Amino acid sequence: MQDRSNKLMKRMLVRYELYLMLLLPLVWFIIFQYVPMYGVQIAFREFMPNLGFLGSPWVGFEHFERFFSSYYFERLLWNTLSISLFQTLVAFPIPIFLALLIHEIQNKRMRKLLQNVTYMPHFISIVVIVGMLNLFLSSETGFVNHVLSAVGIEPIAFMERADWFKTVLISSGVWQNMGWQSIIYIAALSGLDPQLYEAAKIDGASRWQRVMHVSVPGILPTIIILLILDIGHFMNVGFEKILLMQNELNMEASDVISTFIYRNGILKGDFSYSASIGLFNALINFILLIVINAYARRKTETSLW
Amino acid sequence: MKKNVTFALISVSLASVVFAGCSGKDPVADPTASAPTDNFHATGFPIVEKPITLDIFNRQSNSNIPWDKMLVFREYEKMTNIKASFKNVPTAGFNEKRNLILNTKDLPDIFISANFTRLDAVKYGTSGMFIPLEGLIDQYAPNIKALFDQYPEIKQSLTAPDGHIYMLSDFVTLFSARTAKPWLNKKWLDELGLEVPKTTQELKNVLIAFRDQDPNRNGQKDEIPMSGENLGQIVSNINGAWGLENQMGNRINVQDDKVRYWPADDRYKQILQYLHELYKEKLLDNTLFTQQDTEYLTKTSEAKVGFFYKQATDTFSAVADQFIGIEPVAGPNGDRLHTQVQPIARSYGAFAITSANPYPAESIRWIDYFSGEEGSIFLRYGVEGQTFNYADGVPTYPDEVLKNEKGSAFAISQFAPWPGTAITHWINDKNSNAVNPPQVQEAAEKLEPYIPERILGAPLFDAATAKKVDTLLTDVNTYIDESSAKFVNGERSFDDWDNYVSTLNKMGLAEIEEIYQEAYDTTYKN
Repeated sequence: MQDRSNKLMKRMLVRYELYLMLLLPLVWFIIFQYVPMYGVQIAFREFMPNLGFLGSPWVGFEHFERFFSSYYFERLLWNTLSISLFQTLVAFPIPIFLALLIHEIQNKRMRKLLQNVTYMPHFISIVVIVGMLNLFLSSETGFVNHVLSAVGIEPIAFMERADWFKTVLISSGVWQNMGWQSIIYIAALSGLDPQLYEAAKIDGASRWQRVMHVSVPGILPTIIILLILDIGHFMNVGFEKILLMQNELNMEASDVISTFIYRNGILKGDFSYSASIGLFNALINFILLIVINAYARRKTETSLW
Repeated sequence: MKKNVTFALISVSLASVVFAGCSGKDPVADPTASAPTDNFHATGFPIVEKPITLDIFNRQSNSNIPWDKMLVFREYEKMTNIKASFKNVPTAGFNEKRNLILNTKDLPDIFISANFTRLDAVKYGTSGMFIPLEGLIDQYAPNIKALFDQYPEIKQSLTAPDGHIYMLSDFVTLFSARTAKPWLNKKWLDELGLEVPKTTQELKNVLIAFRDQDPNRNGQKDEIPMSGENLGQIVSNINGAWGLENQMGNRINVQDDKVRYWPADDRYKQILQYLHELYKEKLLDNTLFTQQDTEYLTKTSEAKVGFFYKQATDTFSAVADQFIGIEPVAGPNGDRLHTQVQPIARSYGAFAITSANPYPAESIRWIDYFSGEEGSIFLRYGVEGQTFNYADGVPTYPDEVLKNEKGSAFAISQFAPWPGTAITHWINDKNSNAVNPPQVQEAAEKLEPYIPERILGAPLFDAATAKKVDTLLTDVNTYIDESSAKFVNGERSFDDWDNYVSTLNKMGLAEIEEIYQEAYDTTYKN
């Protein structure tokens, strides 16, 4: 034992610069990610500031019961899950298609242009995006509805209707982020060995076949890792944007767990209650992450750990 | 080895948190038990012989300069020998910052204008973070005590079920400052040769004329006949036409000592039906549910709206001469009330003393002065000859303040703290001519015959009940607001009303009514 740790010490000393560099993020993780976990216990207590974390009385699962028996529990859960699911189904594959498309463009200037145009919206702040949505989609003055009425379709109050909420949320998200998210795939694609393409060409593979049999398998590990990371924050749907887009009329589709926590925890100071909801949320995330990772490891031999 | 280092790090950081969390305090100690020191004077100025400092966590409004730079507080320090060290926390994000400071050990001595709710007061008060004030007021606050004696409802609505007063409000005996007024565009009305509407039906006809006949004569249909901050604001103002009141800070009528919670009442359905008609015919602003506050303010300040509710004219002062305040309209069943009136104890949570404060008696004397006649004028007007003068015996700001191009609130905020904040002081008809110009006064007088006999403030519940009410109302209010919006914009048909009512019943309507009845019986019943 003593011997082994001595060896490890020696090895570490040899590459001490690397370990020093590692120290910084490690300390960050400990201070900002692990130490605060100590406060999770207030989910099971009735937190009183003057009594502190340890002095507040235990209440067991009272806060969880309150949340589960809340009239809106099912709605919150359904909205959170369905928004995440649609997001994964729609918003996850699109950057992959875009990357494949950009990769196939031969003209270098055209390629750069397309790439720039698609990733620019990423830099617009969410507040501005929601302001733009309000303007463009307004039922009276928005240009989308002007176009619709020009082709004889009744104006639609997109921002005021619950059934349109998820569509607007996700499609505007795709518009904003697809370029940015495709960068990593483009990088992965350009890392593929050109000889593979040449070999396929010589074997008489068509362009479509080259995409399907060289490009896609080539970036599959990247896709899977990103998918796992995505699932890892499945329940943390884009909080700011949803909060900004929320109004009394679309609440039915737009009220999600994180906005509920904001209203109860931050605005009303009910920290114990919101800690318990947050813990519930994190637990689901954690389980999903483990399941999907295990599945990916079994099926494709690519996984996070 | 490395593992050990990591472990050591974790334990050190954990330990520091643990120790920080350990030192609890005993709840609710009576501050009057320990007599103040010789340094303290029970009456007259200065309050203390040798200077002391009070740490004050105050909300600074958008127009305010830092409070310690204000003439009023600089002068007051000289008078009292008490140095007020203000935190000057801006209004934006204030509640978050306040909640954070409450959760540290680093409590200030005093909270001023801190937006506390009644739930906060009971929660933090009973746990001993705020000290009870009733004994201190009895002994050291003659001005506040005099107001309590003159208006018993103030003390009633500030006292928690355990008999303690944990927080003060401001005291508004000026009726006009406690109510929104219906403002109608008189210029448009005259242009079209119409009469001031007296019923909801006549109001609708006027709004139709506003919509169709281009009253601003610019050739465009850009008039918005009626608008509001949100649906709730419109309902709480117009509900008097159907005999519904806003008692106890909720949707509640009180008659013959019986509390009635009315969101499932048929009269509320009629209000929503009326508003639905207005919405459908584009008489009620169709952007009501999506507009931002600033958009609404712009519409009214540019005189694009024909009819809306607002407390004073300050936000549309440039076009105020186009508008008149009207009497409330009568409803289809003949009801004619104006019930959007706030209690005299208006802004709850305006002042609280924490358990960390070593000078409770000094603190209460410090704030009490502002609730007297002289002190309230001092707080609102500053120093005679410097920031105000008497005109016909009434304190009046000079013209460079009243006609300041950045608005009078901005100019006043350079020397006095009250614009946009809630600091405990007395607001009466003798010290308010800036917020109560003749036009607003006139509008208020038209409403006065129609207000309910008693205006009951929101009650204070004991901690357990408060939590229960909060849990119930969180869901119920969400459901009412959402459903009402859908009824008004037509997304939900009124055929579905029975469904709405039965859902509300399932969510605990009866329970809410019961809890408020109990609170009424203990707090207000004579």
